Amino acid sequence: MIKLTGAILIIIATTWTGFEAARRLSERTRQLRNLKSALLSLEAEIMYGHTPLHEASRRLAGQMPEPLAAFFASFADRLTNTETTVKVAWEDSLSELRRNAALKSGELEIMRQFGETLGRHDKTSQQKHIQLTITHLEREEADAKEKQMKYEKMVKSLGFLSGLLLVILLI
Amino acid sequence: MGLEVDIIFKIAGVGIVVAFLHTILDQVGKKEYAQWVTLFGFIYILFMVASIVDDLFQKIKSVFLFEG
Repeated sequence: MIKLTGAILIIIATTWTGFEAARRLSERTRQLRNLKSALLSLEAEIMYGHTPLHEASRRLAGQMPEPLAAFFASFADRLTNTETTVKVAWEDSLSELRRNAALKSGELEIMRQFGETLGRHDKTSQQKHIQLTITHLEREEADAKEKQMKYEKMVKSLGFLSGLLLVILLI
Repeated sequence: MGLEVDIIFKIAGVGIVVAFLHTILDQVGKKEYAQWVTLFGFIYILFMVASIVDDLFQKIKSVFLFEG
């Protein structure tokens, strides 16, 4: 009886690990897509709404799903409440995002470089920088999508099968 | 006798799972990992079989050579 319970627990644990890894893969593509649309909205706010940056990012925080909502909310909060530059505030918020999101260092680096340009140029070159960042993010998204297609199923079945193997070896 | 049947099923189980792992890893293009998994499964089963065969030889020795 104890053996059976242990076996079931092992299989559940490894299967869960597999599904969690698969979720991370699909989460990354979703968050990259959201990030892209967030930048598009930011561009629209800047170009057509003439919105100041903290106001724009507060609006984005309302529109975006988590974890980007928290990212833009904390960015807006830093801009309004603390005495800091946009670059520093952006990087601080980005390091918070790194902990909560499934994003990899490639796209975080792209976002960091985007933060360096944010708020330092006039409207049209700001728009160009946003377009450039979106192009980079699209490349990362294609990469993430390809990885998801390739590995999602593998990771799931790998989790279950390794649990099964472990159980057989231990019995 | 019960022990032997148990071990045969265990070997079959390991074989099936390793075969599945091999196919899945092969499909996503991780050929080298697939080969390692198969190799380790093979080695594990080889050890198991070796210990059983050792048992058999001990038994034969004790029957025909009248040793402990």
